[in-house]
Amino acid sequence: MGALEGLGLGLLLWRVQLQMFINQTIRSRQAGRIAGTIAGAAVIVFAWSWEAFITWLGVLASHRVPLRIDPVQVLSLAFLAYTGVLVFSSLLFSLNALLLNPDLDVLLAAPRSVESVLASRMVVQVFRLSLLSLLFTAPALVVLAIANHNPLIPFAFAALYLLYPVFVVVIISLVSLLLIRVIPVGRGREVLTLFGIALGIGINLANFLLNPAFRDSGFARRPGLTPSLPDIPAASASWLPSGWAGRSAAAVLNGDLATAGQWMLLLLAVSAAIFAAGSVLNGRLYMAGWIQAVPPRRRHATPRGRRSRGALPLLSPVLAAVVIKDWRMRTRDLAQLVRFIMPVVFLFVIFGLRFPRLLGAVRSLGDGPPAAMIGLIPAWILLFSLSISLGLSAVSLEGKSIWVYAASPNTTLRLLQAKCWSTALPTALVVALAALVAEILIRPGWLWAVAAVLLAIAEAGAVTTLMVGIGAVFARFDWTDARRMMHPVGIFVGMGLFSVVSAASALLLVISIALAAVTRFPLVTTWLAAMTISVGGAIAVAALSILFGNQRLRGLEVG
Amino acid sequence: MGRLGTVLSTRLLTKRYGSLTAVEDLDLEVGAGELFGFLGPNGAGKTTTIKMLVGLLRPTSGNARVAGIDIAAEPEKAKALIGYVPDAATLYDKLSAREFLEFSGDLYHVERRVRDRRIAALLKLFDLHERGDDFLSGYSRGMRQKVSLAAALLHDPQVLFLDEPTVGLDPQSARQMKDILQDFCREGKTVFFSTHILEIAERMCTRLAIINHGRLVAMGSLQELRHMVGQDGQSLEQIFLELTGSREDDVSAVLRGLEN
Repeated sequence: MGALEGLGLGLLLWRVQLQMFINQTIRSRQAGRIAGTIAGAAVIVFAWSWEAFITWLGVLASHRVPLRIDPVQVLSLAFLAYTGVLVFSSLLFSLNALLLNPDLDVLLAAPRSVESVLASRMVVQVFRLSLLSLLFTAPALVVLAIANHNPLIPFAFAALYLLYPVFVVVIISLVSLLLIRVIPVGRGREVLTLFGIALGIGINLANFLLNPAFRDSGFARRPGLTPSLPDIPAASASWLPSGWAGRSAAAVLNGDLATAGQWMLLLLAVSAAIFAAGSVLNGRLYMAGWIQAVPPRRRHATPRGRRSRGALPLLSPVLAAVVIKDWRMRTRDLAQLVRFIMPVVFLFVIFGLRFPRLLGAVRSLGDGPPAAMIGLIPAWILLFSLSISLGLSAVSLEGKSIWVYAASPNTTLRLLQAKCWSTALPTALVVALAALVAEILIRPGWLWAVAAVLLAIAEAGAVTTLMVGIGAVFARFDWTDARRMMHPVGIFVGMGLFSVVSAASALLLVISIALAAVTRFPLVTTWLAAMTISVGGAIAVAALSILFGNQRLRGLEVG
Repeated sequence: MGRLGTVLSTRLLTKRYGSLTAVEDLDLEVGAGELFGFLGPNGAGKTTTIKMLVGLLRPTSGNARVAGIDIAAEPEKAKALIGYVPDAATLYDKLSAREFLEFSGDLYHVERRVRDRRIAALLKLFDLHERGDDFLSGYSRGMRQKVSLAAALLHDPQVLFLDEPTVGLDPQSARQMKDILQDFCREGKTVFFSTHILEIAERMCTRLAIINHGRLVAMGSLQELRHMVGQDGQSLEQIFLELTGSREDDVSAVLRGLEN
């Protein structure tokens, strides 16, 4: 009963979400939003055309060179891999829906059973996931339908996309309800972020360690399978939903609709049973205890001597106050802290596991600027990530609390100054550390190493300042979810300008080496000149962005 | 008018959002030492007016002066004299009350030793000293309101602007806030506050202004307002309903309509 009611309520919620989406895009009557919608649609159409083209090429190739692959195994593997994505997104969605979304109270206050409210959340999630799957695979499915003269292919896959996520969503919803009973009030966002990190790192590491494409020798490779594909025989087991979905999908592609229907019916029956049982269990779990019964955590007062006195050398009290406040906000909010530490973690995953081989390759270049500059690549990746995540969000970090600063007797330029300090200091420090470690390990000659580290610090300061300016131009103060702090156009512009600065620096390095060879000037002189131009250019662009940002903030009305 | 002369004045203050006029040709004069109540129905333009007076919104036309300083022309100078408590104060959730007050003190250029002394006194005054090191995210709405009032008082402003200051406060805290504001005025400073609770305005304010549809409909002491509507002995609620055109009969008619 609760499940059926939940289905109805889920459809209602889904309609409301769709309505909100349309209101925020097409019906927004805001030129920027409409342009963004059109641009987004254009990107999707472009991606779809590309996908259709690639699929078409694949179909043509398969006619010429018959593939010796087992479609059931490959499709089952695909569904098993999809399960990982489903677990990840469902957990985040589920915890988000239960802990953070304010509409839960509204729904629970309505004359609806708890079971139906929780079931409606699962329905919305299943719809979202199936729609996303269709969005990603629709062109390929249409091409396959044309190539196989079988118009039912897209519809059959759409049905599979709708049925397959059900068991995952239900299980994850139950797990989430168990989890939130131990999460303290007000810590939802942090726990959510921790799960995100753990799952992200786990999936990346598992992929790195298990996927034969990343390994020198294959992993349990069987004849008949393309070497770059991982092979997990259990994926197509007849007792696993991935096996049912894989068999049904393979049968659809072969035109065997009866077999496809049989496996799909099994999936439908099991999904319906799990959904019904899950709805009841969800309700019971919810009623059994709720996190709001847990009292909020009390902080112990920091001893007077140990507490920061709110001063930083060389900075005025106002600048120091903003820098310290930003530092506290970022380090106390895990979602913010993650922005700071995630790049380091991923850098470790990307480079750390292949470190000895990479180091040997760079050392073989010998002394000189090429080795020193290549050593800056990890620092540069860090700079990219940190300047975007910290710099672009620096002004928006104030959020709705911007009134505190706006009502104070200080100029907007001073706020920007403070934001530059609060972001450039940690960024330059981390970048300098990464550069220093890399240069010590590579040993390109002390002069080049010192010059490279100094260059990294100067560029870090300039680029982060540039991002603060862009962040001010595209500042958002109405966000409630930290993920929506940064404006998409701001991110796009920031990434574009970072690429321009990086490309210009690399080009100047090449020019300096070529110039030294042609003019027979000492390499250090041409290199220094090139790098001075590079840093000077970055500083000029950064100053310009601060001016634009200040202009935008001066026009700000906290209405 | 206050006994120490005008401290806040507006001339033809207007704010338009496209075709919507939120505040129109507002002329106000508030004296030093006054506790000035700014009343009006929902959407009358109270918050917009206060936001213009504290420099958060720019007037479309007209001007506002605090202690003779034009808030639009010299915002930093004027803001140094102002304390502001918004209706729903959004504070930095990941700071403790003490840290937030330290931050506010630095923003308003309060000397560090003075700042720390005042923070200790204000936390005690608002009964927050035991929870002063807890994050603001764990505070109730009333406690947050107290923190933002403490922050507004920290730099010893000349004029205090409060937008619905008693919302979310328990009766004890509301009384405490009332006493604090009256003490503040006794020192020759000015309080300008908007409220829906007419009983509080009636008991606390030295003068009142009523705004409706963005226009000033009345200004003066309670006695002057009574004269204005021509009926002595009326309560502020009756005067308010009379001047803003809200009729109890209308409400009853609507309620009867809903029942049918």
